[in-house]
Amino acid sequence: MDGNEVVINITHLSKSFTRERGRIIALDDFGLEVREGEFVCLLGPSGCGKTTVLRIVAGLEAKSGGSVKVEGKEVRDAGPDRGMVFQEFALFPWRSVRKNIEFGLEVKNVPETKRADVSKVLIELVGLKGFEDAHPRELSGGMKQRVAIARALANDPEVLLMDEPFGSLDAQTRNLMQKELLRIWSARRKTVLFVTHSVEEAVYLADRIVVMTARPGKVREIIDVPLNRPRDRTSREFIAIRSKVLGELEEEFEKARAAELSPE
Amino acid sequence: MRSLTKSLSKAVISNWLRLTLSAVSVAVFLTIWWLLSAYLRADWPFLGVKPYPLSTYERLPYWWDVLRALGRSFVTNPSPTGGRFMSEHILASLTRISIGFALALISAVPLGLLMGRSRNAEAVGRPLVELFRPIPPLAWVPIFLVVFKFFWGPIAIVFLGVFFPILLNVRLGARSVDPVLIDAARTLGARRSTIFVKVVLPFTTPYLMTGITVGLGIGWMCIVAAEMLGGVGGGVGYYIFAANTAGLYDLVYAGMVMIGILSVLTTGVAGLIERWVYRWMGMK
Amino acid sequence: MDKKLIIIAVVIAAVVVVGGISASLLLSKESKTTGTVYYVTIAPKDMKATLAGGSIDAYIAWEPYVSDSVVGNVGDVLEWSNQIMPNHPCCVVAVSPDFLSKPNGVNLTERFLKAHIEANQWMANALAHPSGANYTALVNMAVQFTSRNATVVKAALEHVKYGYEMNQAFRNALQQFTDMYINDNMTTTAKMQGLGYSSTSDFISKYVNGSLLDAAKSITPSSTILNPSNPIRLGYLLGDLHQMAQVVAQNTTAFGGTSMFQKYGLLVTSATGAPFASGGTEMSLGFASGSVDIGYLGAPPAILNHLNSGVKALIVAQANSEGSGIVVKANSGIHNLGDLVNKTVATPGETSIQFLLLKMALDKEGLDLKIKT
Repeated sequence: MDGNEVVINITHLSKSFTRERGRIIALDDFGLEVREGEFVCLLGPSGCGKTTVLRIVAGLEAKSGGSVKVEGKEVRDAGPDRGMVFQEFALFPWRSVRKNIEFGLEVKNVPETKRADVSKVLIELVGLKGFEDAHPRELSGGMKQRVAIARALANDPEVLLMDEPFGSLDAQTRNLMQKELLRIWSARRKTVLFVTHSVEEAVYLADRIVVMTARPGKVREIIDVPLNRPRDRTSREFIAIRSKVLGELEEEFEKARAAELSPE
Repeated sequence: MRSLTKSLSKAVISNWLRLTLSAVSVAVFLTIWWLLSAYLRADWPFLGVKPYPLSTYERLPYWWDVLRALGRSFVTNPSPTGGRFMSEHILASLTRISIGFALALISAVPLGLLMGRSRNAEAVGRPLVELFRPIPPLAWVPIFLVVFKFFWGPIAIVFLGVFFPILLNVRLGARSVDPVLIDAARTLGARRSTIFVKVVLPFTTPYLMTGITVGLGIGWMCIVAAEMLGGVGGGVGYYIFAANTAGLYDLVYAGMVMIGILSVLTTGVAGLIERWVYRWMGMK
Repeated sequence: MDKKLIIIAVVIAAVVVVGGISASLLLSKESKTTGTVYYVTIAPKDMKATLAGGSIDAYIAWEPYVSDSVVGNVGDVLEWSNQIMPNHPCCVVAVSPDFLSKPNGVNLTERFLKAHIEANQWMANALAHPSGANYTALVNMAVQFTSRNATVVKAALEHVKYGYEMNQAFRNALQQFTDMYINDNMTTTAKMQGLGYSSTSDFISKYVNGSLLDAAKSITPSSTILNPSNPIRLGYLLGDLHQMAQVVAQNTTAFGGTSMFQKYGLLVTSATGAPFASGGTEMSLGFASGSVDIGYLGAPPAILNHLNSGVKALIVAQANSEGSGIVVKANSGIHNLGDLVNKTVATPGETSIQFLLLKMALDKEGLDLKIKT
């Protein structure tokens, strides 16, 4: 790991917007530092704003207040330096696997041969050799997500942002993909900010877990996961950390449910 | 050549059930037609029945008579309706459809994209579209024939008929672009114009193709009706209209069959173009 | 796989079209003529405007649409129809056999024909005395019926010959028309024989029925209306000056409040769809569907539609002869039929007498007539 450089620096981030129901404060004084090569999970109940944080870092949404810096520069707009993987895969259906992966390179006008080299390596890395010319509709969910990861990696981003990427997959595929993700990550050590619902997933994947409060979202607790990878889901340490995180989370879940039920 | 026949015969064999069903359906239709015609004129197998008046059953000739009339219309019978062969009428109608269609395509696609992506453009265009769209193109026939004269009149009618389906479908497609695809494109470094070319356009293409298919069908209806109403020089629609006035009903049906064939031709070609464009857009 | 089936269908369609077109080019019997004149089909009421607008170079129509252009200085007459064929029959009175077979049908028809005869006689008298009151009345009726002004009507009336007799020359002319149609593939001998006529002369002798007209001459007026609940449904063409007889016979103002139809005990009303745009329409939509009992229309469509699709409308009296003309744009430089080569002439339709006459005239010059595409 290269140094302890802070890659993502979020301070006093706030986000609010107005709906028919009135003013909604999604984030209130959210703060986080992510260092280079770290794998950080954002965990929290529905509506806590974890996806909002991710999208603001990605530059897809605007913040209402505070500062969000990536590599020292304030985030203004989306860009290939912050690659993103979406829960819905977001692959371009009219493009083949290879063409999807090469999209960002095309945008940068990278010449064809160079593009082919890059995509070839990535296809192999994510384990899709042989499927270069397949179209997304021919792929399973897990395979689609592999393409999405490769696509984001093709631009050699500073940061990889992942928004519940395995949420649409069945349990078995999900476990498999978690393992695969770690394998890929060990080959390309990016800084990862990973949003999830699942405590199990967070404990399995992350160096640090950021537990968020119910809306308005802020950091409730940051829990370290100092276990060596690959992690054993049945080990005592694993279970202990999982219980701890779950404990923190349950209270927030209750709060979120209460908020949903009470008319505001 | 051999591989083409091989793959075609493979296609036939693997789809034999569907092909058989289609063939059976056509056979049933033709049989019913024959029976109806025979019944009206008390021909075999309805020999004991009282025949209908000539003016009734003449309007439902036997289907083989229709096919024969169709064949003859190309060769030995310069159509008494127009003094021209069917081939010349086909050419006239095809020319009008092609030009009208091309003009509609050129104008409706950019307009649809614009209205689909820009709220302001939508606000400007919407009232005009909603005003003119419900007016059947045929209503314009008398006006257009006088204003645009014989050559451009029917073309203008086709234009109107084809324009709106394409416009509306393209607009819908442009509006329906999955926002997550746009998000993804943004995170991959694409700016607005690149997003338009690499995401909006390909996404809209299938909608465009639907618009084209619908538009082509309407275009054929318009041209035939315009030719029928207008007495404007030639064309398959005119052929039907003139044969009707002269009471030559086997020619009327022959003309209708001809239109069906031409429609299959154009719609089929449009479908093939659709696949080609799809492939082009995808591989691009 | 779906794609392959589409390709199959498209290929078949393409083969049919291409095959047909090549067959046309290779096998057709194209007539070798010295030139081609092109035509389009337009309703006569629109012909003057279209000529003025320049989309056509000439047109042939029935009066008053000929004089309309002449008086309006839009066009000049290239040739009158009587120059193409003197005394050519034009409009006739036809009756539906279904109507004849109704109880009282024959009687009513004969009375109708009597009114028709009397109208004709009155018109002949009026036209012979242009300074008299009857002439003025006639002109007024015509102005109303045709929606043209008096000057146009007066000019038009000079060129129409009204009459009701069906003499041998009339029948011969109709036979000539029938022969022309067979020759031009507008109908076939097979169809004619299929209807039970052995030849064109046989056809004319059966299809033109003079007995009703003869019987009509001795009809006397009736003090009561004989068909109060079943008016005769009359068909006629829009603004066709040739058909003035029925206009006169319906008129009450010039005849002291009683029309000629009423005088002979008839209630007459317009058929559904009347006034028709052309004789062909009147045949195929009026007579064929049974909505016309008695109609005024051109002899050719009455003949053609009968032979082609068996629509029955027996010819029982003449209505007029002549009265049509070819109009060319004023100062167009077209002085004879030969000058029409490669130009566009508007006609009321392929089944009209005007089209037939035009074809006759062009045939004599060795010219072809084809629709403009």
